[in-house]
Amino acid sequence: MPYLGSEDTVRELRRALSNPNIQSDQLRYRNTILKVIRAMSQGVDVSGLFSEMVKACATVDIVQKKLVYVFLCSYASLNPELSLLVINTLRKDCQDPNPMVRSLALRNMTNLRLPSLVEYVEQPLTAGLRDRAACVRRVAVLGFAKLHNLQTNSEIDAAVVNELYSLLRDPDPVVMVNCLRALEEILKEEGGVAINKPITHHLLNRLKECDVWGQCEVLRILQRYRPQSEDELFDILSLLDASLVSPHPPVMAATLSLFLSLCSGLPAVSLAALERVRGPLLAACGSMSREMRFTALCHIQLLLRSVPGLMGVHYKRFFCGYAEPAYIKQRKMQVLVELVNDENVAMLLDELRGYCTDVNTDTAQSAISAIGHIGRSYSDRCLEILTGLLGLKQEHITSAVVQTMRDLVWVCPQCSDTVCLALEGCEESLQDSQGRQALLWLLGVYGERVSCAPYTLEVFIDGVRSETSLGVKMELLTATMRLFLCRPAETQDMLGRLLHYCIEEETDMCVRDQALLYYRLLHCGIEETRKVLHGRRSDPSLGVLIGRPAEPISQWACSFNTLEPLRQGTIETESASRGSPEHVTFDPKPNTDLSDTLNYSHIEKVHSGSDSTTQRTDSSADILASNITVPLSLSLSPALSPEEFEHLWLQQQALHAEQDPEKMKEEEDYTYMEERIHCPAIPHCSPQNLQAAMQLVNIQTLAFTPPHTLPWRVYLYTHTQRTSSADMTHSTLILGELLYTGEANQKVRVKKGTGDREVVVEGREDVQIKEQEEATGDGLSGRELSGKDGEEEGVKVTLKQQPRDDKALKGFLSILTTVLHTLSSDRA
Amino acid sequence: MAQISKIFNLHVLICRNYKGDVDMAEIDHFMPLLMQHEEEGLICPVMSHGSVHFMWIKHSNLYLVATTNKNSNASLVYSFLYKLVEVFTEYFKELEEESIQDNFVVVYELLDELMDFGFPQTTDSKILQEYITQEGAKLEVAKTKVPTTVTNAVSWRSEGIKYKKNEVFIDVIESINVLVNANGSVMSSDIVGSIKLKTMLSGMPELRLGLNDRVLFALTGRDKGKTVVMEDVKFHQCVRLSRFESDRTISFIPPDGESELMSYRINTHVKPLIWIESVIEKFSHSRVEIMVKAKGQFKKQSVANNVEVRVPVPSDADSPKFKTSTGNAKYVPEKNLVVWTIKSFPGGKEFLMRAHFGLPSVENDEMEGKPPITVKFEIPYFTVSGIQVRYMKIIEKSGYQALPWVRYITQSGDYQLRTNV
Repeated sequence: MPYLGSEDTVRELRRALSNPNIQSDQLRYRNTILKVIRAMSQGVDVSGLFSEMVKACATVDIVQKKLVYVFLCSYASLNPELSLLVINTLRKDCQDPNPMVRSLALRNMTNLRLPSLVEYVEQPLTAGLRDRAACVRRVAVLGFAKLHNLQTNSEIDAAVVNELYSLLRDPDPVVMVNCLRALEEILKEEGGVAINKPITHHLLNRLKECDVWGQCEVLRILQRYRPQSEDELFDILSLLDASLVSPHPPVMAATLSLFLSLCSGLPAVSLAALERVRGPLLAACGSMSREMRFTALCHIQLLLRSVPGLMGVHYKRFFCGYAEPAYIKQRKMQVLVELVNDENVAMLLDELRGYCTDVNTDTAQSAISAIGHIGRSYSDRCLEILTGLLGLKQEHITSAVVQTMRDLVWVCPQCSDTVCLALEGCEESLQDSQGRQALLWLLGVYGERVSCAPYTLEVFIDGVRSETSLGVKMELLTATMRLFLCRPAETQDMLGRLLHYCIEEETDMCVRDQALLYYRLLHCGIEETRKVLHGRRSDPSLGVLIGRPAEPISQWACSFNTLEPLRQGTIETESASRGSPEHVTFDPKPNTDLSDTLNYSHIEKVHSGSDSTTQRTDSSADILASNITVPLSLSLSPALSPEEFEHLWLQQQALHAEQDPEKMKEEEDYTYMEERIHCPAIPHCSPQNLQAAMQLVNIQTLAFTPPHTLPWRVYLYTHTQRTSSADMTHSTLILGELLYTGEANQKVRVKKGTGDREVVVEGREDVQIKEQEEATGDGLSGRELSGKDGEEEGVKVTLKQQPRDDKALKGFLSILTTVLHTLSSDRA
Repeated sequence: MAQISKIFNLHVLICRNYKGDVDMAEIDHFMPLLMQHEEEGLICPVMSHGSVHFMWIKHSNLYLVATTNKNSNASLVYSFLYKLVEVFTEYFKELEEESIQDNFVVVYELLDELMDFGFPQTTDSKILQEYITQEGAKLEVAKTKVPTTVTNAVSWRSEGIKYKKNEVFIDVIESINVLVNANGSVMSSDIVGSIKLKTMLSGMPELRLGLNDRVLFALTGRDKGKTVVMEDVKFHQCVRLSRFESDRTISFIPPDGESELMSYRINTHVKPLIWIESVIEKFSHSRVEIMVKAKGQFKKQSVANNVEVRVPVPSDADSPKFKTSTGNAKYVPEKNLVVWTIKSFPGGKEFLMRAHFGLPSVENDEMEGKPPITVKFEIPYFTVSGIQVRYMKIIEKSGYQALPWVRYITQSGDYQLRTNV
């Protein structure tokens, strides 16, 4: 076929279309029309043929009709006047005895998207709603949605809306679902289709008749329904149970979404639902389609934010296949990092090491940083792998390893020795600015321990003129300054050169200002400089243990089963796990079902007492008043930051280590105590539940390991207030650790320490101490308890109290025991 | 909710704007965006340009793209795109650029029926095939008969089907997925099974299928012979799920012709049916020596057919030499593989293949991955899980006699054994 320009094509086609010979030969006519459509698809502007095509629409050949409609719908908006001519044919077709023709005409009538035609379309559409054939009703119902979409600000026709509501009872399930869709669109302003009890129950009963798409639609819309009673809620949930484990991932996801929204007040039910979808979700992760696998992985990541232990035993399902695309591999690695525990760590690291040499550099780098993440809990094994990778001398691997080491050392300073040893010689294979920046940072901070540090820096300083990366220059300045402070003799000369260059010759203002800043700082004297540059950072080693507190489900439930989880490039594991727990805001609202179960008598006492203290902490008179009825009350204020907690804890640990534990008991200003509480289910309990339960009795949990990990730990603290005599209250601070080491390690160890509450209130302390001395006799009962339960599985409680007050401590312990038992029986 | 606005193929072969809320021109951003992401190595099944999100899948040389400007349900959209592929494939055998070009009319017709206003409508290809036919493109004043199925209660089967000889063919096919670590330990293994039907039955027959399902046996109190625990069981829509849930009976009115009745997954630890031990020694700058031992770890009576062991070799290897105790070895340089083919591999037997390659003295600088050894095979008359069709009852009101035929086959799925080199 000779090449024709678009104008020639159109001219040629027009001639053919208007040729009476062709028009009379149906086959040739249809083929000519086909040519028009083909040209249209290839991007040729054939809008000029509109009037010829309108004529071609009057035919008995249904295929030709369809082709013409495709054309008309594409160009109608350019020719609103001529389109009026089509309407007649279309309206005639709406009377056709063949339902296929009727539905075709209706669909295209509404697809023309011309507001001027609305008046001609309404009547056939209304007739279509009552058509005998379901396929016509399906089209007519959606047709109203399309009309509304054309003129969104027009009045909503109440008659139509009523008719659509009544069609929810149509025998054809697609018509029913289309009605929902149309009403959603038409009533968008009013918040969508109204979902009341009869509609909900009707939809639920017919759910099984719908196809996958219909089920998803119904389930989504039902999210707006709020059951009126608990019985009704559970009836609905049991109806939905089968869909929850549906083999179709979209249905399963939609059902879970609905479950979560219905059970937003019942965390325990939501958690059970999450457990239930584990199987189908894992199956979706092994789906043939990569996109479905990807979607499933993204959603699993969401679930893990609340239930970190959900997929623990199934970690092998997240091992990457060789041919999987990088985006799946990266997600799988992110999941694997979350699943690591004592049992699988060796296998998991072995697997991840294999990915580090992946041909795709992004995958390799993600694998390396995944190992770095695991290194926060298992530093030795990971550092061994990372150091081994440096030996490969591969540019991108070395860069990723050095960056990972930098991040690891920042969190786990105890790794610095190994890292310093590994750094030697790796500057040769570092090319990219990110990697070099990381190396410079490490050299600056640990320069004393890396013998070649000054030489490496000198190479950088000699090349600073040709350095293009701003980040590297800034880092070089800081690193050289830091190194100068610890190794002045070797560094002085090069620091001078660097500062001179940066101040005199550097064109970038940031670098120049930074250099000037350091220069002036040096003028202030070496000690001042040291203070600024080597300022002590809080020791974040506790951060490893802390892990990420599990989020409440409500944080992500609304984005479940949407596009959002797929778009969050890399989930913020980084920031979230690094952030100290004080920044994590917890839902302050008390857990309702928990408060119901916590009706032990003395808890209630404490409960009321704690309420009063939280309200009246500042007024001593009120405290007195409350103390008349309550012998012991707990309070959360003043709040303790994780740093302070860690400081106090470690300080007391040190004291404990120095002295004989027996002597310790006699130490007058604080006491420590070990206790074992038998409550096997606690370590499997979700952090939210624990946190909520503890907060009810005014115990603040500060840090957790995720559930199902071993050893499982929780750190907590509270302030106790106790009236010993009529006008005397004294307060102590209790720090505690719950430790569960699993069945394997049956050893019981409970520590309890007491120390001064606050240095500021020393004045009052003296009095209190004396009183506590009197009370020491009772302090040992905990020991006996632990002896009794020693054989069984249990949670070890270590408490440190400051100042010592055994009565308060005992009271606290019994509260804690009750809470743990309650939670434990709740789970069982 | 699927707010799909358009479906596109490469170079915008076909496009359909269902909802009109996304501009038609937006798709022009898709290819550049894809190229850009590809360069950065950040390919992802969702890409965004401004407020428009592109969700895409690739099938042979085509991209199927859905665009939306809402925070829509991702898994639903991908399911729909795959449904499109399924429907098109059933119509055109192969879905590729040529078949779209050649069948344009049908494609337009199908796109119209599959989705309306961004909502999936009729997506069952069996039903669609009744009123959208390729013959329609030929001229016989197109079929005007209304398909009863569009309104019928049994939407997957039309009435009035007639066969001279009434038969059902049942294929039980199991694929084994195995991943074996370089040190020989099985990392994961599972079985994906599927039961396919070819139904040639007249009228509206009622079928009941009996399997040796452990749950069923436990329900009825029987405990003889081998039973199977199935997970993730998926049924064709014709199966009455309520009956399956209550008494584990698989009863249904089958679709006419070929269909997949059910699929399942079994997550037990299976012994890899064909075990591979390999020693690959690479002597830099001179040669690679490969020794592969394959062992059939299944019953002596069974035979694996068309066994293919694919062993990766370095991309710069040359001058291949092979020695095999049975079968043929062939070097496929474009895939950097040695393919060792054994036509028939009896159970319990062990075979050996040695290969020798030269390596250039100048080393290849590029990093190479460590592709695994993969194996393909087929074992007829055998299922790994031991699943069995115990009976197939066929009841039709006209009372004809019909014969069920059952075939079993086990084949390799994703069968990978990692190597050290």
